[in-house]
Amino acid sequence: QDKPVQLKMSSWVPAQHPLNPSLQAWADDIKKASNGTITAVLFPSEQLGKAFDHYDMARDGIADFAYINPGYQPGRFPIMAGASLPFLFANGKGGTAAIDAWYRQYAATEMKDVKVCFAFVHDPGTFHARKKILAPTDIKGMKIRPATSTIGQMVTSLGGTNVQASAPESRDMLERGVADAITFPWGSIGLFGIDKVVSYHMDAPLYVTPFVWAMNKGKYDSMSAAQKKVIDDHCTSEWAEKVATPWADFEYGGRAKIAAQSGHEIYKLTPEQLDAWRKSVAPVEAQWAESVKKVGQDPKAVMDSLKANLAKTSSAL
Amino acid sequence: MSTDAIAILGFFALFALMLLRVPVGMAMGLVGVTGYASIVGIGPALKLVGQTSMRTVTDYTFGVIPMFMLMGALVSVSGVSRELFKAANSMIGHLRGGLGVATVLACGGFAAICGSSVATAATFSAVAYPEMRRFNYPQSFSTGVIAAGGTLGAILPPSTVLAVYAILTQQDIGKLFMAGIVPGILAMTMYVLTIMVIVKVRPGWLPGGEVKPWSQRVADLKNVWAPLVLFVFVIGGLYGGFFTPTEAGGVGASGAFILGVLRRKLDGPKIREALLSATRTAAAVFTVLIGALLFGYFLTITQSPQKLTEFLTGLGIGRYGVLALIMLMYLVLGCLMDAMAMIILTVPIIYPVIVHLGFDPIWFGVIIVMTVELGLIHPPVGMNVFVIKSVVKEVTFTTIFKGVLPFILTDILRLVILIAFPIIALWLPTRMG
Amino acid sequence: MTAGSDHAPKKIGAAGDRFINAIEWLAALFVGIVALNIFLAVVLRKFFDTSIPDSYDFGRMLLGILIFWGIAATSYRGGHITVDLVWTAASPRMKRWIDVFATVVLLFVVTVQTATLFDKVRGTYVDHVLTYDMNIPTWPFYAVAWLGDVSAVLLIAIRTWRLIFHPELLHDEKPEMKADE
Ligand code: NA
Ligand code: NA
Repeated sequence: QDKPVQLKMSSWVPAQHPLNPSLQAWADDIKKASNGTITAVLFPSEQLGKAFDHYDMARDGIADFAYINPGYQPGRFPIMAGASLPFLFANGKGGTAAIDAWYRQYAATEMKDVKVCFAFVHDPGTFHARKKILAPTDIKGMKIRPATSTIGQMVTSLGGTNVQASAPESRDMLERGVADAITFPWGSIGLFGIDKVVSYHMDAPLYVTPFVWAMNKGKYDSMSAAQKKVIDDHCTSEWAEKVATPWADFEYGGRAKIAAQSGHEIYKLTPEQLDAWRKSVAPVEAQWAESVKKVGQDPKAVMDSLKANLAKTSSAL
Repeated sequence: MSTDAIAILGFFALFALMLLRVPVGMAMGLVGVTGYASIVGIGPALKLVGQTSMRTVTDYTFGVIPMFMLMGALVSVSGVSRELFKAANSMIGHLRGGLGVATVLACGGFAAICGSSVATAATFSAVAYPEMRRFNYPQSFSTGVIAAGGTLGAILPPSTVLAVYAILTQQDIGKLFMAGIVPGILAMTMYVLTIMVIVKVRPGWLPGGEVKPWSQRVADLKNVWAPLVLFVFVIGGLYGGFFTPTEAGGVGASGAFILGVLRRKLDGPKIREALLSATRTAAAVFTVLIGALLFGYFLTITQSPQKLTEFLTGLGIGRYGVLALIMLMYLVLGCLMDAMAMIILTVPIIYPVIVHLGFDPIWFGVIIVMTVELGLIHPPVGMNVFVIKSVVKEVTFTTIFKGVLPFILTDILRLVILIAFPIIALWLPTRMG
Repeated sequence: MTAGSDHAPKKIGAAGDRFINAIEWLAALFVGIVALNIFLAVVLRKFFDTSIPDSYDFGRMLLGILIFWGIAATSYRGGHITVDLVWTAASPRMKRWIDVFATVVLLFVVTVQTATLFDKVRGTYVDHVLTYDMNIPTWPFYAVAWLGDVSAVLLIAIRTWRLIFHPELLHDEKPEMKADE
């Protein structure tokens, strides 16, 4: 008989966020598979610690499982930052399967202090702005709240400035003119009331934010072989997709909701415009490549592998 | 030991340490981390200390606290309180009880730029008390009206306690500040009415001061333009969506500095004094914040807030019954603790209950701040009373508490009104964006 | 106690006071810089439609520096928020015991905090955490903030020593200067 284990799971998104029920369902399945020996309590809304600290929390055992946004800390996870480069992902579901398969190669070295359970992404986000952003040159002089540090670098390289704010503060920043635009997935725009303060939405899958669901190593090691197997069986690409899907659906559905509202313009980019955007992010890609070289990896191999995985799951752009 | 037992033991240890004068923040941190370690383990507990301390002091939104403190300190050393009192005094000081009313009005004006109730009380002990005594106002009334008027500092925006409440509950600081305006004006009105009742009941107790010529009145009134400009600029900017709260504080502090220098009210030593006082108070408040967060993480893993919510809602005394119970608890705590410490210690535990009962979080912020402010003036311990005593050496505690009694009754009445009519607090913030 | 040995602590006292004043000064200066940083950021945004790169990261890291250095001075001057109910009612002898106990606890807590913060600063260095706009390493800022906590430990140690052996050398804050709300 295995000794009972209780897990503290930490998610920093608010309680009503679609990610939380998915994580709860994941934990419930673990309970079932372990004959009730592994139970879990989910703490949402930064109850165990701030969003920025979640990697350290999983490492230090402050949480047994933690929901991590590696992009919050520029410079710390250079390989993972590659997945947040613009114009790579076409959708969230296949994208999740792809990023999970891809990152499994690097997780043990880049996130060596934790046991990475799986990686996932949300449905692609884009620019939502108070004025129309068509060409990369439009970014010059704009104040933008980026989703990740990689998007932040893109903004800087195009002559814009970054505004840092948490998701709940973002609406305030836009309303007060501290920011002119935000990069956000579609559904969250409504969730945080940002649709009240912006009216132009670029209809292009600009970026995704990569996330990691990671476990404290000591906790894993303290489990019995049977319990470890249950955890391993729940740290798979299939589970990554299962957990990420409701959120991806929610974000995907947000586009239609905004389109149905009056006073909003959702505009497509011409192939030339899209091409200009792709070219404009070259300096950011170069910067990223440099940072990957520094940790002894070959940026081309890393990126090719990601693109191959995206192609395999038909989520490449 | 069960987690419930550990949580209860934690509370006892916390109170013991605090009564032995261990700084409140340090006591909360020590108990929180020890309790956390006993449940989760010593390793994670120590990591939590470093992580929480560093994250808290480098959190941009918390910058609002030292900034509004700096603005208040700069305004204080520029002698604005004296100008405000002089203006109010020359308009109405000659009426019976007029000096008392002038004190309330000047406290209100000062409160509109200073976020601290204790600072307001300290300032007017030096400014208004000698004047009231000169016209034979009793010691008890003179100190009582200053103690009560001081509490306006935390009710009218800007307010440090309201800002901390907002941060702890993730509510909009701007909205909470707006919610304080009408209740603050109500408080002033009710204080004035209280003085008028005292004048009626005890004629001759509060004699009239000297009559000033109109030329003097106009001249004195003109002097208050600077604080008025600052208030309109900062609070208007916040309301109108020009600044974030942290920016409003930073711009307000810079504005106070510029106005002070232009009006030749600030020199090197005064600027130094203001910077030092803002640093000291900010450091003390952040110490409590860090401690409270650590204590909060401990309570989270024992799941005590959920259990308390279940317990209180299971009592079957209705939502107003629970609210009354909570406020009673605050009045008892107010016998021993400072307002800021009380807010930081209790809000993480009480707030989930309030939300669960369906009360408005913004409205509750105003209610709770008024309740803890009442703790600053009611016996046996009250920060405002202590501060007045330290400035006005010749008066006894008993005398001050006697003088403040009518105002305590007014405060309780005001709380009842605000609970019956939440719209008084909520009308202004709901008109914002 | 001889006149000679009485002289030494006073000298140390004077040097200590200069040290404490310097620390308090540093913290106070940072409050001014934080206000200036915000003021400039707002002016640039409103009138010139531009911004200082990394002003957000600078702002929050300066805040950290000011708070930790401020805590050092506040701890030394006895300026923390305390519950004085029992203390006020206690006899002078009892008061002294309470003071010594409280200061020793304070010393313990701040020492532990400083040790754990070192770990945090080291982590920032090892993990290459950078600022958002200019990608400057953040660890030096954290290190300066941490030094504030180190001086807090030193100052509280001095305070504990003075409290036990030379209580006349302490200058505690008066209540009206204390933190509050
Ligand atoms: Na105020
Ligand atoms: Na009291």
